[in-house]
Amino acid sequence: MQPNTKSVAQHHDVHQSEHHELSFWRKYVFSTDHKIIGIQYGITALMFLLLGFMFMMIMRWQLAYPGAAFPMYFFIAPIALMGVVVLFITGIKPSVNTVAGLSLVAMAALIWYLGSSDENFPDGIMLPEFYNQMGAMHGTIMVFLGVVPLAVGAFGNYVMPLQIGAPDMAFPKLNMMSYWVYFMGGVTMLISFFVPGGAANSGWTSYPPLSNIATTGQTIWLLGMVFLISSSLLGSVNFIVTIVQLRAKGLSFMRLPFFVWAQFVTSFLLLLAFPPLEAAGVLQLMDRLAGTSFFMPSGLVVSGQILPNTGGGTPLLWQHLFWFLAHPEVYVLILPAMGIISEIIANNTRKPLWGYKSLVYAAIFLGFMSFIVWAHHMFMTGMGSTISAFFQTTTMIISIPSVIILSALIISLWGGSIRFNTPMLFALAFLPMFGIGGLTGLPLGLSSSDIHLHDTYYVIGHFHYVVAPGTIFALFAGIYFWFPKATGRKMNETLGKIHFWGSFVCMNFIFFPMLIQGLAGVSRRLYDGGEQYAHAQSVLYLNEVMSVAAWVMALFQIFFIVNFFRSIKKGEKVSDNAWEATTLDWSATTSPPLAHGNFDTVPEVHRGPYEYSVPGQKNDFTPQHQKA
Amino acid sequence: MEIPYTIETREDTGVNNAKLGIWLFLASEVMLFGALFTTYILLRIGSADDWSQLNDILNVPLATLNTVVLISSSVTMVMSWASLMMKDFKKYKLYMGLTILCSFGFLIIKYFEYSAKFEHHLYPSTNTFLAIYFTMTALHGLHVIGGIIVNTYFWGPGSKMWNTQPERFTNRIEIAGLYWHFVDLVWIFLFPVLYLL
Amino acid sequence: MSLKTFHIFFISLSVLTAIGFGVWLLNENAPVFAVLSFLSGIGLIVYGISFLRKLKHVSFI
Ligand code: HEM
Ligand SMILES: [Cu+2]
Repeated sequence: MQPNTKSVAQHHDVHQSEHHELSFWRKYVFSTDHKIIGIQYGITALMFLLLGFMFMMIMRWQLAYPGAAFPMYFFIAPIALMGVVVLFITGIKPSVNTVAGLSLVAMAALIWYLGSSDENFPDGIMLPEFYNQMGAMHGTIMVFLGVVPLAVGAFGNYVMPLQIGAPDMAFPKLNMMSYWVYFMGGVTMLISFFVPGGAANSGWTSYPPLSNIATTGQTIWLLGMVFLISSSLLGSVNFIVTIVQLRAKGLSFMRLPFFVWAQFVTSFLLLLAFPPLEAAGVLQLMDRLAGTSFFMPSGLVVSGQILPNTGGGTPLLWQHLFWFLAHPEVYVLILPAMGIISEIIANNTRKPLWGYKSLVYAAIFLGFMSFIVWAHHMFMTGMGSTISAFFQTTTMIISIPSVIILSALIISLWGGSIRFNTPMLFALAFLPMFGIGGLTGLPLGLSSSDIHLHDTYYVIGHFHYVVAPGTIFALFAGIYFWFPKATGRKMNETLGKIHFWGSFVCMNFIFFPMLIQGLAGVSRRLYDGGEQYAHAQSVLYLNEVMSVAAWVMALFQIFFIVNFFRSIKKGEKVSDNAWEATTLDWSATTSPPLAHGNFDTVPEVHRGPYEYSVPGQKNDFTPQHQKA
Repeated sequence: MEIPYTIETREDTGVNNAKLGIWLFLASEVMLFGALFTTYILLRIGSADDWSQLNDILNVPLATLNTVVLISSSVTMVMSWASLMMKDFKKYKLYMGLTILCSFGFLIIKYFEYSAKFEHHLYPSTNTFLAIYFTMTALHGLHVIGGIIVNTYFWGPGSKMWNTQPERFTNRIEIAGLYWHFVDLVWIFLFPVLYLL
Repeated sequence: MSLKTFHIFFISLSVLTAIGFGVWLLNENAPVFAVLSFLSGIGLIVYGISFLRKLKHVSFI
């Protein structure tokens, strides 16, 4: 049964009048509106991205100048100042700016707390234990609290229902719960800094036996992960049901914008890959709290003493369970980014995407394959050459769909009259950056070359090329692109371009040297950046280059932050369809702010998602809901 | 604003939102327990002990009783749903009440099993078999508790919906039933794997 | 898949469990209980069929 257009429209009217009665708390804090929830996710995730970035900058101090006293205030001052300025301008009132200002101040306070503790910095010099905390929490925060919530929770939540012409998500209350469970997960992770021994310090991968015998922070980390996993399970169920059930009339699967497809596949990955990690988390909790030995071999000797546990377990079990999640997770990191990039490229080349169908099939195939490549992270564990051969083969196969997607996007540029606005610049930069990231993955995927590269900075370079100038750029692109939909205003182009060029140059100065260091054999997770190793000496000077580039890049982010908050109030006003785009999100009329329910009239779709420059049409874009 | 297809089915997909949602959720649950069963297999293969002897300490009669209890509860669960479809609310109350009683019965029996183990100083830390035994049954037990909470809500305060939106309420009971059947299904696997093999 | 379908699936698996349990009991030298187990398997089959008859009009989807 199709929805009865008239009755839905009536409900909509009724709803608008009752909307005013919603209290502040129901409207902005415990809202069930997917747009508000999307923004909540977005702000929270951006704050966590900034925190993860701060941790990285602190690590980079140690790597560039091992053993030098840590100039804490040099790191704290900028964010504290920014927070105070934001609070000074907005004051304490219920608004996004106040929340952001308070978070910035809190972030500064956290780093002050960590930096002034003698347990972390005796005489101002960083201890290895603290470096390990930073490393583990940087990874955890970036992946689980920053990028995924921003790519899926924020963009998916805000844009996807609009693009399919739905009034909201299929389960609005569940949606609210997903956010708050995610929030609890974030709070839990932050609390772990205040327990004895500090936060988790066994890497974002939490390999046992190290993690099993680590300080209390690891237990809190596991609890935090249980929250985050539950949140993303709720979210992914909601996403899939929404996409399958709430598509507007006429919007068949092959007319879905590629962004929606990307979210669709991503949700399946989250749904099916996360539970094994949840199981692994429970097992590790049992090991730590109930004294079991799931991941503990018999007779393990630590600091000269045999551990009292019964043994009989195997650390490899954790690695299998972890990577069964974490490999699909890397596609969770990249697929939504590809979705965002596709929308922006189609829009700014004013051309249909090249090979829409191959994009879709490639994404689906990618999703399937990502479940059977996980052990390419484990070539060096001695699991045997037969198993290695299998996983090396599947890894080579999975690079094919990635290449298809990238090629289709590059070919889409061909012959377009490209508009070089800020979102497009980020999108264009994404292509070669993701290209480098993907290509550097191939030598890692071959078990013989991985012998040399495994656990070196090359791996770090590889995945950061995919995630940082890849996914993060896509996320920036998305923010610049959909900002007008959320606020009715555009972000400033000049500030945006400064932000782009600065970030683009710095990114490469940060991550390319990692590939060089890695090829020279410098191990990852070294607290002194390799200073003690003879083979590292010739590439040691790069540490300072990378660190300085990282700090300079931080300065360029200020342009983004200023631009973001300034444009909410002062940006150039634009129409509903700011970029003259074709998809349904831009046809939603009431912008801003979109009312709960999204569309005044229930949209009906008559054509594919990217009908740009169709011959014979009056405009160079033909919206999906436009009749013949 | 109203979300379409909360009650009625969408023609081209053939389901309503909640039913698709619960099946997706159950798919993720399959992965959760699947991972634990895989863990069981890997640990057993790699173990120096003979697990078919280690599990002799478990109480098969009690577990059999529990199996019977859970199978019965699935029958009463399905009956409560069928009663609603026949518009017989009283019978619904009866069958749902029985389902909840069965679930409590299961937990009480489980409690006796656990405490007997603890009395004999058999803990999760005793050996890897007991570790996985306690982990899996406890996780399953948590799912039972979840089911009790949901079913009790639908038996008590939640059943008011029957007066206003009977169709939607029937739907909800079906969803709760699907979840409950999954919990029972997990036990049907746990029973032979842990107690018999 | 409706609850009806799932119930039938579940009952079928229960039948298999009952039979398997019976075999296990035979191995353990408990023939009386084994017979009981087989009988309950048959009972479940009978129940399943009557259940299908009763809910003939309910959809499998
Ligand atoms: C396109 C083809 C790709 C191939 C062939 C590939 C291959 C690999 C391999 C074999 C490793 C393990 C290296 C080692 O530990 O020795 C690895 C690590 C990694 N890859 Fe990729 N990768 C690809 C794409 C991606 C993408 C798209 C992402 C994320 C968005 C990604 C993120 C990561 C991460 C995070 C790690 C390191 C995890 C860790 O050990 O901490 N990769 N990659
Ligand atoms: Cu991988």
